[in-house]
Amino acid sequence: MSKLQERASANKWSSMSGKKPPSVGSILRTTFLLVMTFVILAPVIWFVLSSFKDPTDLSARPPKIFPTTWAFSNYTEAFQMYNYMRYFTNSVIVTVVATVLTLLINSMAAYAFAKYNFRGRDGLFVLTLAMIMIPLQVILIPIYLVVSSLGLVNTYWGMIIPAAATPTGVFIIRQYMLTIPDELIEAARIDGAGEFRIFARIVLPLCRPALAVVAIFSILWRWNDFLWPLLIAQKEELYTLPVALALLNGQLVVPYNIVLAMSVMSIIPVLFMFVFMQRQIVQGIAQTGIK
Amino acid sequence: MPYLFVAPNMFIFLTFIIWPAIRGFQISFYDSIDGRTFTPVGAGNYRAIFGDPTVAEVAKNTAIYVIFYVIISTVLSIAFALIVNEQQFAKGFFRAILFLPVMLSPVVVGLIWNDVLDRKVGPLNSLLEALGGGSPGWLIEPKLGMIAVIFVGVWVHLGFYSIILLAGLQGIDRSLLEAAAMDGATRPQIIRTIILPLLKPTTLVILILATIHGFQSFDFIYTLTGGGPFGATTLIVQYIYDRAFQTPIQYGLGSAAGVVLFMIIFAFTALNFLLGKKRQAI
Repeated sequence: MSKLQERASANKWSSMSGKKPPSVGSILRTTFLLVMTFVILAPVIWFVLSSFKDPTDLSARPPKIFPTTWAFSNYTEAFQMYNYMRYFTNSVIVTVVATVLTLLINSMAAYAFAKYNFRGRDGLFVLTLAMIMIPLQVILIPIYLVVSSLGLVNTYWGMIIPAAATPTGVFIIRQYMLTIPDELIEAARIDGAGEFRIFARIVLPLCRPALAVVAIFSILWRWNDFLWPLLIAQKEELYTLPVALALLNGQLVVPYNIVLAMSVMSIIPVLFMFVFMQRQIVQGIAQTGIK
Repeated sequence: MPYLFVAPNMFIFLTFIIWPAIRGFQISFYDSIDGRTFTPVGAGNYRAIFGDPTVAEVAKNTAIYVIFYVIISTVLSIAFALIVNEQQFAKGFFRAILFLPVMLSPVVVGLIWNDVLDRKVGPLNSLLEALGGGSPGWLIEPKLGMIAVIFVGVWVHLGFYSIILLAGLQGIDRSLLEAAAMDGATRPQIIRTIILPLLKPTTLVILILATIHGFQSFDFIYTLTGGGPFGATTLIVQYIYDRAFQTPIQYGLGSAAGVVLFMIIFAFTALNFLLGKKRQAI
């Protein structure tokens, strides 16, 4: 939120709770929020501290808050003795390629829906939005059978392509493209620019804010996604981070102290996005109701 | 030309959503353990879903989870949205904290709470013991397992719903609130008689979204309890997943469960859409 908005919303209640000394209400409120902060942060901090404990500390009763010796080896061993780098690379490949592909094909479809008149346009647009009603969970088994009959199980493309077309992405970009004046496109056409060139050189650059929102959501979702890569990546060398963490922990192949270190490292990129892009994410959620 | 632009998206929708959806409906009338040979069983899978004790258990778990998850999420997100909205000291900080869990990978969230709730070496129980509260087996006893899953479900998504409600709160006309304050209304009165009624459309959206999310819950439960103890936290999505990947493999039964889940989600999405239409009309 910008400074100005911040001030505006702070002013909102000025007539009721203005510049008086802190009221009972505001003390209660702050206490309540401090309790909330504790309930949210304490488990996360505990978890991060645990990732620096050796197996003896981890099984100590009663548990210690701080490690007796800081076991940085949990982190180094994740790289040296276990395949952290492999899972991390897989997550990066899937997240980056899927996000680029999503942006490309979603904005293409959005462009057609926003700026062309063609037979079946409204029908296809409604069909696109209707896809929200069929989440992966519902078609888990048939989609697995389809994907495996296409030979896409245990491939990167299998993780990337099937979920690359998103109804919300199309919707967000289309709404934005509607605000671009048609004259601009007409003028480019008169100047002899080809249709794809107009789309790539004129329309896309103007849609940067909408593309940014779709990109942020795609990155977050792909990085944290579990169910889809769990279906597709059945070989260990294709595990993304969430799949690796869930399965390695369950099968006890990797010691718990190493799983802890891997988990903490896996949330660092997301925390960066949280710090630097919170405003866009919050606005995106408030506007679309979709995460 | 426009058809070329929509083609890639439509191709993916057809191949990976529409076609599987049709196949799923078909398969739900068959029995298959390998995905290659299918034996027709008529409505047998659906009869099993509404008669089989294992499925009844899953349905019961899912219903309990969804009901408590939806009610607690809605009430708490309204409370937090109101509180954060009125907060002046460190408002941005508290909003960010509330939002933090939404960003975390659900798999890691499950691991975090699995660690915190550990019966023997978890910090929660050592705190409880220090207070003389014994050490409950959060992830060992079926009832407590369900409570843990509901709690963590709410913990993860609360920030998400609160943000939508906060946006709804920002949309309320300030002059209304100021007029009421000038007429001498107390803040609780303003909240009860003005803010909450005006927030009703947004609250309905939250109720519906939370219901849909509740029925889809899977990932954090996988690492928190794995559906245990003794299947007490196995919900419908895990049941469907297990029918494809755990013995007994039953693609037909799993597909039928998927069709039932689809009808539930369809009903709530349609409801959301209809209410949205009505909102715009007003």
